[in-house]
Amino acid sequence: MAADGYSRAVFEDFIIHEASLLDARRFRDWMGLFADDGTYWVPAVPDQQSPFDKASLFYDDRELMNTRVERLEHPRIHVQTPPSRTTHLVGNVVVEDTGGAKGEYVVDSTLIMVEYRDDAQRVFAGRQRHRLRRHGDSFRIVQKRVDLINCDSAFDAMAVPI
Amino acid sequence: MRNGHADEIAKLIEPGRVHRRVYTDPDLFELEMQRIFGRAWLFVGHASQVPNPGDFITTDLGRQPVIMVRHRDGSIHVLLNRCTHRGAKVVNERRGHAQRLTCCYHGWSFDTDGKLAAVPVPEGCADGFDKDAFGLAHAPRAGEYRGFVFASLAAKGPSFEDHIGPVKGNIDDLVDRAPDGELALDAGMHRYAFNGNWKLQVENVLDSYHVPFGHASTVNKDGVQFARREGDRKGATVVEAEKKQTAASWKDRKSFIAGNGHGWTSNTSLDDGKRSSPAFDEYKTALAEKAGAERAKDILTPRLHNSLIYPNMSIMGLNIHVRVIKPIAVDRTEVTIYPIRLIGAPEAMNAGNIRLLNVTHSAASLVQSDDLESFVRVQKGLQSHMTDWVDISRGLGAEEPDRERNATRALATHEMVVRAQYKAWLGYMGEAA
Repeated sequence: MAADGYSRAVFEDFIIHEASLLDARRFRDWMGLFADDGTYWVPAVPDQQSPFDKASLFYDDRELMNTRVERLEHPRIHVQTPPSRTTHLVGNVVVEDTGGAKGEYVVDSTLIMVEYRDDAQRVFAGRQRHRLRRHGDSFRIVQKRVDLINCDSAFDAMAVPI
Repeated sequence: MRNGHADEIAKLIEPGRVHRRVYTDPDLFELEMQRIFGRAWLFVGHASQVPNPGDFITTDLGRQPVIMVRHRDGSIHVLLNRCTHRGAKVVNERRGHAQRLTCCYHGWSFDTDGKLAAVPVPEGCADGFDKDAFGLAHAPRAGEYRGFVFASLAAKGPSFEDHIGPVKGNIDDLVDRAPDGELALDAGMHRYAFNGNWKLQVENVLDSYHVPFGHASTVNKDGVQFARREGDRKGATVVEAEKKQTAASWKDRKSFIAGNGHGWTSNTSLDDGKRSSPAFDEYKTALAEKAGAERAKDILTPRLHNSLIYPNMSIMGLNIHVRVIKPIAVDRTEVTIYPIRLIGAPEAMNAGNIRLLNVTHSAASLVQSDDLESFVRVQKGLQSHMTDWVDISRGLGAEEPDRERNATRALATHEMVVRAQYKAWLGYMGEAA
């Protein structure tokens, strides 16, 4: 038992499912996993404390996420012509013992995403933290935070969420 | 091109076109590093990045590593980041604080004004070793305007005043927006890179022609872009959706040049007097208290979109930031974008600016990423030898004087600004260093 009667596998299954939606480019379904007050955050500073006083690679609330997904579906998104192909690997899953306070859970994992686009392949890697809220017999994401090991480096253009 | 004879270089630029080699020839790139980045006034950093004595940042001028550091007496020094002993880069952190700058190799340490302070095992120094001659080299010339620090790696050339004079008003436009009259570039940075020549980014910052098509994916079905400033509910109308053509208000935007390759584009009124949010309203009040109601209204009238201070930086007046362009190779460029905090503005106002800048200018942003794709594709397309010339002739001959700014004006969808950049480019490149 990892937290509040849920086994680690339940959380692991959920974040693997979340990653698989990105790999399948089912961005709208991916967005649907987020709570209405959910955020997706990829800091641009190691150990960044806040998205409000420093630049971030991504800091999307649901409204911005929707704008981003609309753009990903737009026929003239040049930076996705051709589209990215990605594969995520999620592992080293640790469920923090929060006692399920407020029905929320914190799940840390290691993330590797390999992206191929337009004859070039690159790797993103880091630790991710999902703050999840119980929702029926599954979860909604309150926050997905991805701390890339090279978050403060110069990146070539990125278009798809990590 | 290795010799860089003036007459040979002059053949690369014609009134409305540029030879493709200007973007693709590695020998020309080497010449640019000497003749442009080796002597032009380049933006180094902002005083707010080194608020206290001992604070430093490191960056590159062209490809030369430098340190911008504040000394005990409050002065800012631009030092070459190269140990005077055996040549190691002395400071390896991107930013930090130190009493002395100490080389990792043999431990030579330098004061924050560059002077050599101590050498380990001093009894081994050659007879007559003159410590004073071994200080870290200073950039030969440095200048500051309202916190913006520039340096030139050449001892001679146009003065800082001559260089910056025509665009002082553009810096003022930004700094005056801070209720306390001061900016801080301390909100992190966006860093992106692309496989393309540095001038593609320089040209793009003043290019209003590309927006309706290049950024089509950021415009909604009504032809309107998303909001980019705190307090706005929507952005600029870019396309007239029914007619599927560039909006008239977009076509009316103007561009300006004022010598030295500098230029700027005008802004359009976005939310016409309706700009409002709790953070923006509080900011407006704070600004009016400091500057007076009339002056505050004037300051908040949008005039400038991007301002280019040739050759390596731009300032954006819409969602405010400073952009620094760093050439790496003929086909590789790195760019840093600093969000700006307005000192004296409420925290929520600055937070709003920082958040909206993620949307437009991070490597993963909705706007910048499509520009990067265009730059990469230009670099690829220019590998074609069948067409030698890049066309920059839009609006050629349609330029008109602008008395208000002592500048020359054209429509922003014209290419006058690019022609002005190449005039400056020729000025630097046509002369041996």
